Amino acid sequence: MISKDVEKILPLVQKPGRYTGGELNSIVKDKNMIALRYAFCFPDSYEIGMSHLGIKILYSAANKRDDVWCERVFAPWTDMEKEMRERKIPLYALESGDSLTDFDLIGFTLQYELSYTNILNMLDLAGIPVRAQDRTSLTPIIVGGGPCACNPEPIADFFDLFMFGDGEEVSDELFDLLIACKKENTSKYEFLKRASQIKGVYVPSMYEVEYNDDKTIKSVTASDNAPEKVTKRIISDLNTVHYPDKFIVPFIEVVHDRVVHEILRGCIRGCRFCQAGFLYRPIREKSPDTINAQCKALCESTGYDEISLSSLSTSDYSHLEELMEKLLSWTEDYKVNIALPSLRVDNFSEKLMGYLKKVRRSGLTFAPEAGTQRLRDAINKNVTEEELMNTARQAFSGGWTAVKLYFMLGLPTETYDDVAGIADLAQKVVNEFYRNPDKPKGKGVQVSISVSSFVPKPFTPFQWEAQDTMEELINKQNHLLSSVKTKKINVSYHKVNISFLEGVFARGDRRLSDVIEYAWRHGCKFDSWDDNFLFDVWLEAFEKCGVDPLFYSSRKRDYNEILPWDHLDYGIRKEFLIKESEKAYKNETTPHCKIKCAGCGTNMLNGGKCDALCKSMV
Amino acid sequence: MRCVRVWFKKMGMSRYVSHLDLMRAMTRALRRAKVPLWYTEGYNPHPYITFALPLSLGMESLCESMDMRIEGDSTNEEIFSMLKDNMPPGIEIINVSEPVFDPKKIVYGEFDILFDCKNNAEYVAELVKDILSKDELIVQKLGKKGRHKVLKDINLIEFIKEYTVSHYGERVKLSIILPAGSSTNINPSLLADEIKKRVEDTSYTLIRKRLLTENLEQFS
Repeated sequence: MISKDVEKILPLVQKPGRYTGGELNSIVKDKNMIALRYAFCFPDSYEIGMSHLGIKILYSAANKRDDVWCERVFAPWTDMEKEMRERKIPLYALESGDSLTDFDLIGFTLQYELSYTNILNMLDLAGIPVRAQDRTSLTPIIVGGGPCACNPEPIADFFDLFMFGDGEEVSDELFDLLIACKKENTSKYEFLKRASQIKGVYVPSMYEVEYNDDKTIKSVTASDNAPEKVTKRIISDLNTVHYPDKFIVPFIEVVHDRVVHEILRGCIRGCRFCQAGFLYRPIREKSPDTINAQCKALCESTGYDEISLSSLSTSDYSHLEELMEKLLSWTEDYKVNIALPSLRVDNFSEKLMGYLKKVRRSGLTFAPEAGTQRLRDAINKNVTEEELMNTARQAFSGGWTAVKLYFMLGLPTETYDDVAGIADLAQKVVNEFYRNPDKPKGKGVQVSISVSSFVPKPFTPFQWEAQDTMEELINKQNHLLSSVKTKKINVSYHKVNISFLEGVFARGDRRLSDVIEYAWRHGCKFDSWDDNFLFDVWLEAFEKCGVDPLFYSSRKRDYNEILPWDHLDYGIRKEFLIKESEKAYKNETTPHCKIKCAGCGTNMLNGGKCDALCKSMV
Repeated sequence: MRCVRVWFKKMGMSRYVSHLDLMRAMTRALRRAKVPLWYTEGYNPHPYITFALPLSLGMESLCESMDMRIEGDSTNEEIFSMLKDNMPPGIEIINVSEPVFDPKKIVYGEFDILFDCKNNAEYVAELVKDILSKDELIVQKLGKKGRHKVLKDINLIEFIKEYTVSHYGERVKLSIILPAGSSTNINPSLLADEIKKRVEDTSYTLIRKRLLTENLEQFS
C-alpha cells in the first residue's frame, strides 16, 4: 500500500497508474513473517520495466519462497521525482509502499548501458549512498545482473556484487546466504567474502585493477580467496526451471502488454555483431508441451489476447510447427493472437506464414542487417539476397503490403558501397512487390528500413573493433538517405551520440565510474530518452574526469590486450572469438550450430550438452 | 446476441486508471471470467464494449456502467457470478441488468466532494455555504472554439442543480448535482479547486454517486 503522502501527489503527475501498485497478480506478504526483503529494481520507467520478461520470471521465482518477499521498483518519471524530492518522499517499492532503505537486498537489472545514471538516481532518491564503499552496514546489499553485467566494470564502484548468467538459481543461493548472515549478524565484508564463493557471483571490490602507462589494463588481481575467473551460471533444463503461471497485469498500457513465453535460450546463428547470441549460449530448448501448458495458464490468469513466442531466433526453434499446432488448437477459440518476433528470412515458410495469418495479421519484420552479400558474410548473418526476395514474394502474395527491414551502420569492414547496398536491397523488395501478379488491388507497398549504429560489445568476435566515430556514422546516414530514390521506402535511424555513449560504456573500465557519477550529479538521467539526453553534460563529465571517451569506443584493440572483462568467464573460448574475427576480415561465414559445431566452448558449462548439437546428431 | 449493462464501483487505487486503460482492463477481466462475449465479425474481431460516461482520472465512482454484447443464453445472474471474482483490485461488480436508458439520456451527475479539514470543519462548511450562496463564481474552463482549445470564463453557480453541505469529524461533505453528459459537462473538480484555493491546507476526494436523466431519474 502506498503512503498518504504519495497519494497526495498522484493527482499532480502524469500517468499516476504507474505509481500505485496493487495490480492484478501482484504479490503482497506479511512482512513480519519474512526473513529477507528483496527489491527488484528496473532502472527505467514503469512501462518499459513491466514489459520485461526477466523481471516477471525472477519476481515469481523469488516469491515462491515463503521466507522472501520480492517487490518491484521502477524509476519515477521526472515529474514524479520532482514532487517526491520536494516532499522528501523516499523511493518506494510498489507492493508495500515501503522505502528502499527497508530492504535487505536491492537488485538492479542491467539491460542497457544508458540506464546507468538511473541506478544512481534511484539509490539517491531513497537516500542510499551511491558508492559501495560508503555503505558499511550489512544491508542493504546492492546487486546487479542481466546482459550488461558481462562487463560491469564502469559501474563496479556502485555495486556490492554482480550475478552472471541465468538468474533463477544463483539468486536463491544468495538469498540463503544473506538470511544466514543476517541471523549471525556478520559484517558486510564477511558476507561478501562468502558470496564470492558462490558460482556466478562477482564481488568487484575483491579485484584490484592495475593500469599500464598507455592506459590499458596491466593486471587484475583477485584477493580474499575470490576466484580468479568468475564463471556464469546456466539453467541446465528449461523444462524444469520455474516459469510463472501468473503475470502481473498492469492497469495502464505498457510497451509489451501480452503473454510472453521464452521458448529457447541461446542462439545457433553466431552473428558476429550480436552479443546476446553469444552471452546466452549454450542452446537450450523448452518442450512444446511445457510451453503450450504454460501459455494457456498465463492466458487464463491474465486475460491477455496475445502470446509472443520470444527468443533470439524464434524460427530456429526445432519444434515450431508442433508447437504452433498445439497452440492454435485452443487460441482461435480464445481469440488469442500469436506473435512470432525474431523470424529469419532463410527459414520463413509458407506454412509458418499461414499460422501467423490465422488469428490476426501483424506486421512483418526481417533483419538482413547489412546491404551487401559481402558484408553479410563478414558479419556471419548467413542470409542471402535470394532468400530475402523469396520471403518478400511469399509475404506479398500472402497479402502483406508493408515490410520492415532492420540494418546496421558502422559494421567492421563496411564501405560506402555497402551502405548504398541497403537502399538497393530495399528497392529490390519494392520491385518484388510490383512483380507479383496476385498483389492486392489498389494498394501500394511500404518498405520501412530502420538503421541502427553498430556498437562493438564484449564477448563477441568484434570486441576488439574500433567503433565508427559520430562523424563517420552521420556521413553514412546521409549517404544512405541520398541513395534512397523512392517514397515507398522510408528510412529511420538512431541518434549517433547515444550510440557513441553506449559504445564507451559497453567496453569501459572502472575509471568510468567517476564520469557516470559526475554526469548524474549534473542532471543526466533517462539517457535513452531523446528528450532527456544531455549530451553536452556527458562531454563535460568526460573532460572534468580526464577521461578520453574515444579510448574506449573508437580504438582498435590488440588480441593480446587485457580487456576489462577478461576475468569474467561466459564460457566462450577466446580462441574461438579470435578465429571468428579473422574470418570476418576474409568475408568467410561459419555455418550455424545445427550444421556444424563451431567450438565456442559454452556447452562445457552444461556438462558438454547443447540442444543444437543433439539435434544435428539425430 | 443480447446487450447487458454491467454496474460497478471504481474505488481506491483504481481511480488512477484512465478511461482508455479501463477499457483494456475490463476486456481482460471479461476474458478471464470467460464471459461468452460477442465478437465483431470484421477483419480484426474484438468484443463490443461501451461505457456510459467516461470518469475523470482520480475520481472514485459508485455508479459506473459498461454495456457489452454477449452470445448464448446466460442469465444476468450467471454473468454476475462469472464477473464478480475476476475484477482487477478496486473494481467491484454491483449488478448486471438489462439496459433501460440510452447513455445519451444522461444529463446530470450527483457527486460528493469530501474535504479533509484538520480542526476547522465547521468553519469550512460555513465557508462553502457562503461561496455557493453568492450569484457568481467565475472559473476558467477549457473549452473548444472550432478546432482550438481555449480557456473560457464560466459562472459555476449557474450550473448547480442542487446541493447540500454537511460536516462530521474532520470532514466536510458537499453533495452536488452538476451537468454531466455529452452536451454540457461540468467537472466537480473545477468547484473543488476553487474552494480549495480559499481554504488553507486542505485536500479533497471526489466520488461520482449517481447519473441522472433530464427529469432527475436515476440512469439505469
